[in-house]
This record gives sequence, structure tokens and C-alpha cells, in this order.
Amino acid sequence: MDTPNPAATPKEGAPPSSKAIVYVCGECRQDNEMRPRDPIRCRECGYRIMYKKRTKRGEKQT
Amino acid sequence: MQRETTHLEIEPFTILGVCAGLIPYPHHNQSPRNTYQCAMGKQAIGTIAYNQRNRIDTLMYLLTYPEAPMVKSKTIDLIGFDKVPAGQNAMVAVMSYSGYDIEDALILNKASVDRGFGRCHVYRNQKCILKKYANQSFDRIMGPLIDGNTREVIWKHKVLDQDGICSPGERVTNKQVLLNKSMPVVTMSPIETGNKSEQQQQEFQDVPITYKGPVDSYIENVMISSNPEEAFLIKVLLRQTRRPEIGDKFSSRHGQKGVCGLIVQQEDMPFNDLGICPDIIMNPHGFPSRMTVGKLMELLAGKAGLLDGQFHYGTAFGGDKVEDMCQDLIRHGYNYLGKDFFTSGITGDGGLRLGEMERDCLIGYGASMLLLERLMISSDQFEVDVCGECGLLGYSGGCHYCKSSCNVSSLRIPYACKLLFQELQSMNIVPRLKLKNTQNENCQENENNGLKDEGVDLDGKRRD
Repeated sequence: MDTPNPAATPKEGAPPSSKAIVYVCGECRQDNEMRPRDPIRCRECGYRIMYKKRTKRGEKQT
Repeated sequence: MQRETTHLEIEPFTILGVCAGLIPYPHHNQSPRNTYQCAMGKQAIGTIAYNQRNRIDTLMYLLTYPEAPMVKSKTIDLIGFDKVPAGQNAMVAVMSYSGYDIEDALILNKASVDRGFGRCHVYRNQKCILKKYANQSFDRIMGPLIDGNTREVIWKHKVLDQDGICSPGERVTNKQVLLNKSMPVVTMSPIETGNKSEQQQQEFQDVPITYKGPVDSYIENVMISSNPEEAFLIKVLLRQTRRPEIGDKFSSRHGQKGVCGLIVQQEDMPFNDLGICPDIIMNPHGFPSRMTVGKLMELLAGKAGLLDGQFHYGTAFGGDKVEDMCQDLIRHGYNYLGKDFFTSGITGDGGLRLGEMERDCLIGYGASMLLLERLMISSDQFEVDVCGECGLLGYSGGCHYCKSSCNVSSLRIPYACKLLFQELQSMNIVPRLKLKNTQNENCQENENNGLKDEGVDLDGKRRD
């Protein structure tokens, strides 16, 4: 188990930086796409608190 | 109020504050009980505020199905307690059961618990700050690891999204990662990191935030923010559902607390004539020494309100009258004191046995009406037609011996007594009943005349 994981690590280092995740603004409920290291600030209202969206896992793939 | 009025008396119930104002009929309780309740009401689990599902507290208990109290008070209306209630209306049987209810222990109905009685949500949170260090390095969050062989996300990282933070709505098990954080190994020496190539390949060590707990949790919410030092702040709100278990504390609104001593299958619970089982069984020994009459009145008001589908008021120095509620109970065919006949779910027996010795005590004391009730009315009461002429038992209003329906009276005797007469007759001994005060002139049955008026004499005579 130990050997494949370090090999996988660099692969996984890449996706988070490339893939942006959508967060919801705590004030105006606007969807905000953000990348890691981006400052946390709503593009619409400038509010500094964001919430994550509910998971899509477990939903039926259509 | 008149023109001459200078002073006005305050409404008496307003001398009580929020805590005491929630107690129904507090003016009928022994005063220390109200004091206890004022301290204990603050421990109640229920609703805390309208924003309770958006808050991220370190620890928060909420009732899954809170209910507004059926016995209200004016204070409850004024403070809006029925809008943020803290408690549930339970069906309570005040009786002894199994011995697991001694010393203020309570018995809970398992089916009630299954239906959501006393169920609560437990909210906890996990916090994490992504720091920036002196050498310009910072903490980072990594996406989930993928198993090299199966190309699937490893079990520990199952609940993580691509941003390395757990996803709301997921279920987390012990040792699973909530936040895949890693921090740089070298944080304090800026000289070494002066080399650019070295900064690129800075070493990180994993410092994941893992979920620890014997029971799984659900991720309710994830909040991401930043504080003034530009450090990222991540808060994860976790939720569990908890059902009542043995040792949990329950309380009414009269300082009458108790712990759950046993959770019983509904099949084994006592049931009344309608087949209704109580949610809670409470030991009656809690009443005499504590003198919480207000609680008895609340029980009565609750039962009467239940039957009519309305709320009753138990406001201090006022409230709905006991007589009115008794009338409501009678109207629905219940005992006017709120008593009900219960049958054991285990043996099918009703009540406790009043044995010979107990009977002797009652005879010695002279409690004749109690004896009459226990040994006949609640037992094997039987209506017989007795001929006043011959003193023998007849049937359907006529005497078979005298061939007449005159002088036949109907009276109530224990079935065992009637059986004894017939068995004696079968042994050639004739027992004759001598009736007094019978109105035999108009040859009518006197249904209204019970045993008390008729004065039955049993006079056994041997036949010649």
C-alpha cells in the first residue's frame, strides 16, 4: 500500500490547482468559482465568508 | 380604571420571570419544587433560536421533534416559548413497573423512542487555520489521494472534494480525513529558503484533520473564510443523531427529574382499554413527599386538552379550572380524576393483587367502600334477580320457584357469591337471601337501589 501512494501524490498535486471549486457566498448566495490560494471574497458583494455546496456523490448519475 | 385611580395592581402572574412562568399551576406546588424547576429548565434540550441550523457551535444539542407544550401559560404566550419550544408532550402513566423505576427512574416505551421521542441532533465542529510562516512558506490543502493500482480515491479520503475539504452531506467514519492539510517542515529559517530551487521543492508533512469518534457523523456544512492576517479559516460542522438511552435524564416542568432506567418493548408495556400505551412510566412514589400537585393538574389538563384537541392554560394564580377539565374527561367517557384501567402487557393482568391479608387490613380499618370497589365492582360484579318471596335466585326478572315475577329484585353481587349459592343448592343446602327495603308493592325492578340501600342478609337454612 505504501509504494503506490507516493507515486500517486504528484498526480494529485496537479488537479486542485487546475480545477476550480464552486463556493456559495454567505451573504448574497452567489456562486463563486475559486481556486486554491485565491483570496476569499465574493465577486458580487465582497463578503468574506463562503460555504461549500452539497456533495454530488451518492446522487444517481443520469 | 376610574378618574380617581392613582395606583393599579399588577397581574399576579407577572411577578414570575421566564423560568418560573413556564411552570404550569406553580401556585399548587411546594415552593422548593418551583425553585428546582427554575434551575433545571435551563438544562432543557430543545430549540435555541431560529438560526440554529446556520450556526457553527463547538457543541450544540437540539431536539429533532420539539413540541409546543399542551398546557400553556400566559407567560408562554408572552415570551413566545411555543415558537422556540424545548420539550415534548409525553403520554405518562403514573404507576409502578418492573422495579427498574425505583428512586425516580423512568421507563421508556421503545416504540415511542423509535418514532422519535426524545431524539436529538448533536452538532460539533472542527476548525482549521492555514498559516503563513516567517519564511514565506504556508500550509496547503491537497486533493484526495488516488490508489495507484485501482485508480480510485483511497478510503481515508473518500469524503474529500478536489479542494481537499470534506463535502457537505457526506457520512464520515472514524479515522477518515476531513481536511487534507499539510504543513512545510521548515518554517523558521528564511536564509535556507533564499535559494529558489529549494523553495520549489520544499518538503511538506501531512497534518490531516481526521474524524475521531465511535459513531459516524454527517457533514452538515463547511465554512471557508479568512481572518485579518490573511490566514485561511475553515470550519466544518458535523451532525449526529442521538436516541434516548438508559441513564438519560428526563424531567417534567415541576422539578421532577428522573433517569431512564429501562426501555421496554411496546408489547410489554401496559395498555388501557383503548389499547393505548404510555410513552413514559413514572413511579408514583415521586408524588407524596414532593407534593407537586401542579403536576397532577398538568396531567389532567393535558389529558382533557388531548381529548378536545385544544390547549389548556396553567397560568400561575389562575389557569383553567380542574372541575371543568374533569367534566371534559367525563364527557369523553373517562374517569373524572384522569385514572385509567391498565392491563399488563406481559401477563395480561390488570392492577396489583389485593390479597387476603390486605383485605383483612381494609376490614379492620373499616374502608367498606374501598372493599366494595376492589372485591366486587372492579372484580366480578354480577347482576342477579332475587325473589323476595322465597329468597332464591331467579332469572330474566322472574322467580322459577314461585312462578311469579312479583317481588323479584335485581341486585349486584360478586359472581363468586352467586356461584357459591348454586353449588350449595347442588349439595341440598338452600341459601336464601332476605331482602330489605324492596319496593314490592308496584312489582317493579329497582335498578337504582344498589347493595347499599337494600342491605342483603345471607341466611342459609337447611331444607327439611
